[in-house]
Amino acid sequence: MIASIKAEWRKNRFRPAFLVSTGLIAGIVVLFYSAEWYQAAHPGGPREAVSILTLFPDQFVNNVMGAGFPLGAAMALVLGALIAGSEYSWGTLKTVFTQRPGRLSTLFGRVVVFQAWMGIMTLIIFAVGAGYSVVIASVQGHSISWPAAVDVAKGMGAIWLILAVNGSLGIALGALFRQSAAALGVGLIYVTVLQIIVVRFITSFNGGTYKWIADWFDGQNASALLQSFTSPAFGRSTPPAIGAEQAVLVLVAYLAFFLIASAALLRQRDVT
Amino acid sequence: MENTTVIETNGLTKRYGNGVLAVDSVEMSVRRGEVYGFLGPNGAGKTTTLRMLVGLIRPTSGMATVAGHAPGDPAGLAKIGSLVEAPGFYPYLSGRENLKVVADFAGIGHKRVPEVLDIVELTSRAGRKFGTYSTGMKQRLGVAAALLKDPELLILDEPTNGLDPQGMAEMRKLIKDIGQGNRTVLLSSHLLAEVEQICDRVGVISGGKLVTQSTVQELLGEEGVLVRAQPADRAYELLTGMFGPAAVSRQDGSIRLKTDPAGSVEINSRLVAAGIGVSELRPIERSLEEAFFQLTGEKQGS
Ligand SMILES: Nc1ncnc2c1ncn2[C@@H]1O[C@H](COP(=O)(O)OP(=O)(O)OP(=O)(O)O)[C@@H](O)[C@H]1O
Ligand SMILES: [Mg+2]
Repeated sequence: MIASIKAEWRKNRFRPAFLVSTGLIAGIVVLFYSAEWYQAAHPGGPREAVSILTLFPDQFVNNVMGAGFPLGAAMALVLGALIAGSEYSWGTLKTVFTQRPGRLSTLFGRVVVFQAWMGIMTLIIFAVGAGYSVVIASVQGHSISWPAAVDVAKGMGAIWLILAVNGSLGIALGALFRQSAAALGVGLIYVTVLQIIVVRFITSFNGGTYKWIADWFDGQNASALLQSFTSPAFGRSTPPAIGAEQAVLVLVAYLAFFLIASAALLRQRDVT
Repeated sequence: MENTTVIETNGLTKRYGNGVLAVDSVEMSVRRGEVYGFLGPNGAGKTTTLRMLVGLIRPTSGMATVAGHAPGDPAGLAKIGSLVEAPGFYPYLSGRENLKVVADFAGIGHKRVPEVLDIVELTSRAGRKFGTYSTGMKQRLGVAAALLKDPELLILDEPTNGLDPQGMAEMRKLIKDIGQGNRTVLLSSHLLAEVEQICDRVGVISGGKLVTQSTVQELLGEEGVLVRAQPADRAYELLTGMFGPAAVSRQDGSIRLKTDPAGSVEINSRLVAAGIGVSELRPIERSLEEAFFQLTGEKQGS
């Protein structure tokens, strides 16, 4: 297992897809903050004014939550589909499986390194958000105070969990289709379109009788978990439909399911 | 038994999901220390058999023991170096980095990496990305990766694929060298000259069935000498006297002798001394090619 983790890290540490995605998500946090800052400085636009108070460091955890779903989730899914699917098209799965570790410990190493990358992306999101909020506070001449450490930790845990779940979905789809293109296509359609339409339909059907079914979708739970971080400073407070604890449990169940499915597929099937 | 047989298969059969019966009840045995050539035309089932031996695919029925373990068992894999079909590496990593990744998976240090790069003469290009390699360079890296574990058993599927003539010659020499001593090499190929030059024993597979398994010598058939002489009747008489009727046969004007061609000088001087004119005297060789076409039922030159 240690051998697989070491090998997976060596092969993924400079992987272009991971480096580009990490840069991209950092760029998106910067873009988001810049847009909000502009709006706060120029009220009277079409959108409701943003209070400059929400852009200071004490609120940064709530602000970076937006990077989690669906954008971060979609990126994680793409990376998961790539890390699993390209092993087939490159023929590297064959090379790896004929070395020493068994198939399951190979998957274990892959998942550990992948989730470590999701952790790195989470850290980057938080670091960039925190950094930018310090810049805004300094420019505006506002004093700098931070959220409680426990809130930062919770926020990071939430983002990491959402990336981990969607990345694992990508890994499972990569193993299912034995290529990255199909896995990526199907996964993205599910996360960004299909799931949202289905949930909307179920929620509205027959006056909402079946809304409880919609509450079991991973995207619903991810959104609810992110929403639970909204603070009163933002003015808009729609109470999330699903409690944070329940959302975490449902997401963990999805994570486990996707990983078990990947393990079953990888263990059973022929590698040609 | 355990010490002398490295690969043993029993009714090994594979039917792919699409219904193709690729390998049909193969009984194959490879002995320790030999270079075993696995011969067969395209689509005969060579790659499929090798995939089963390294545990990449599961047999539909039958079983195999490889290096003392079931195929795919980590304890067995630790002793096997293999290159099955096209070499598979990460295109965005250099050749050297790819070997380090493979070494990590194999649970061995990186000390062997420069050594194997040297063996396949890839050291000067080892820093370039695998994605930019030529076919021959990829193939060399594949062989280098197979050598990393310094394996007891080396399984190579058409290792000279894509190599230039010099590369092929070097690869053959390399395989011959590796096959010295206790190391066992199982090599698939459809290049007969290659197999003839480097293998001790061969298995011929055709249409998924192992049609023969023997030493190269046995496959080539018995040695003999062909004689053309005048007058033919007297020559026949004299040769029958020398070797006995069972070893001599006449065939469209020539006489065939079942004997060691090393005795040709002796045969010639006896015939000449008896006043018989010898117009032709040469060893009879069945080429491996002939034997192969006969066994696999393929027509020569088609
Ligand atoms: N993944 C696969 N799925 C279905 N059929 C396959 C698969 N791989 C090979 N086959 C079929 O199995 C048969 C044997 O193929 P195999 O690749 O083992 O032949 P081979 O002896 O290695 O040929 P070659 O000399 O061309 O490499 C062929 O009929 C081939 O079409
Ligand atoms: Mg083949």
